[in-house]
Amino acid sequence: MPYKVQLDIFEGPLDLLLFFISRDEIDIYDIPIARITDQYLAYLDLMQQLNVSVAGEYIRMAATLMHIKARTLLPQLSENEEDEEVEDPRSELVEMLLEYKRFKEAAENLETFESEQSQYYPRQPSLAEIDTEVNPEELLREVTLFDLMKTFRNLLQQVPETPTHNVSRIDTSVEEQRTYILEKLHTRSSLQFSELIESFAEKITVIITFIALLDMMKDRVVRVVQSGNFDDILIKKQPESVETAT
Amino acid sequence: MELHDYSSIVEALLFAADQPVTAGKIRQCIEMDDEIPVQEIVDQLNDYYHQEDRSFFIMEVAGGYQLVTRREFEPYVKKLYVGASRMRLSRAALETLSIIAYKQPVSRPEIDSIRGVNSDSVIRTLLERDLIAVKGREEQPGRPLLYGTSDEFLRYFGLNSLDDLPKLKEIDALMDQSGESDDIDAGLIETDESAD
Repeated sequence: MPYKVQLDIFEGPLDLLLFFISRDEIDIYDIPIARITDQYLAYLDLMQQLNVSVAGEYIRMAATLMHIKARTLLPQLSENEEDEEVEDPRSELVEMLLEYKRFKEAAENLETFESEQSQYYPRQPSLAEIDTEVNPEELLREVTLFDLMKTFRNLLQQVPETPTHNVSRIDTSVEEQRTYILEKLHTRSSLQFSELIESFAEKITVIITFIALLDMMKDRVVRVVQSGNFDDILIKKQPESVETAT
Repeated sequence: MELHDYSSIVEALLFAADQPVTAGKIRQCIEMDDEIPVQEIVDQLNDYYHQEDRSFFIMEVAGGYQLVTRREFEPYVKKLYVGASRMRLSRAALETLSIIAYKQPVSRPEIDSIRGVNSDSVIRTLLERDLIAVKGREEQPGRPLLYGTSDEFLRYFGLNSLDDLPKLKEIDALMDQSGESDDIDAGLIETDESAD
């Protein structure tokens, strides 16, 4: 038999079973368990064919149905028709269906109240309350754009403010400063460190120049003299050094 | 002070409030007299609004009072909020909420077993919308949280108290009808038909 079942409109296996029951006008207290089980399994099959992932609850219900079906097929221990004590293997399922059904209907009542109440606008209504025309399909979805926005805003608030460090490229190098020092010493035999750095605007350039100077000392390109702590540094060419800059 | 004087104060309180205000809160704000007949004052104000054909009235909701626009103005007021979409509750949310409303305090495992599906995310949504609240823990292995409805639940559905919920028929009553029920789809819920 062909199924014209809209997918994803069921809230779960109980809802699906209630659908079969009301569609086929089945007496809920006398469920033809074999037929219902076949229809139920066919529906799960269809879901799987359509690559809809079938939730575990649906599978569990399938097992329950088959179990009940098996029990109804087994010969009853007591064949006495007068014996009312024999428990119907379906009764537990029926109870579950009825319990679910009454809350499903209570939910429908709530929905009526919801749309009823939405016609009254209180002072300072919150945006969440505003009723606009919404596609019925949308109503069934759990997540709305508003949910997303709310979540996003919450997430943003949770993100701790991270301190930022501005790192800029240093546009000078030890090599460059070495060359610079050598050039200065080209025409003179000595110079003060203070002269060397007086035109530099940035501290980092001074530091690099100092490193270049230390470097040159190590390579014995220059000789430095300082008369005391924190005094100016006098830089001299090493007499024996051959000027091999670069 | 005369009742008449109080009524202006009550009106001012309700005008400035952003949620239903209880009679107790109104008395507390007036700071005068525990005997102020708030209900009487509200009724007088409503009569007055009615006579004057005002566009709003005082609704009794969630155990308090709130100024709301009359329903016939809904088509117009709605236009104020074009583009703002209202988060109507999904069927899953309504189902879960009805179970919580009728069985509170109730734990998630119990809700799950009635619905036959996992209700974890639905419960979270309902908590975020303040429609339900945690009411404690069940003294059982795992000590699951117990949920119940909130004042916002009452307000959202226009109920003054939980007593306004339509009565659920007991399962036993349903089972007893077995065999004699030709019409099983109807009458599972007795609706309280008392009009306001």
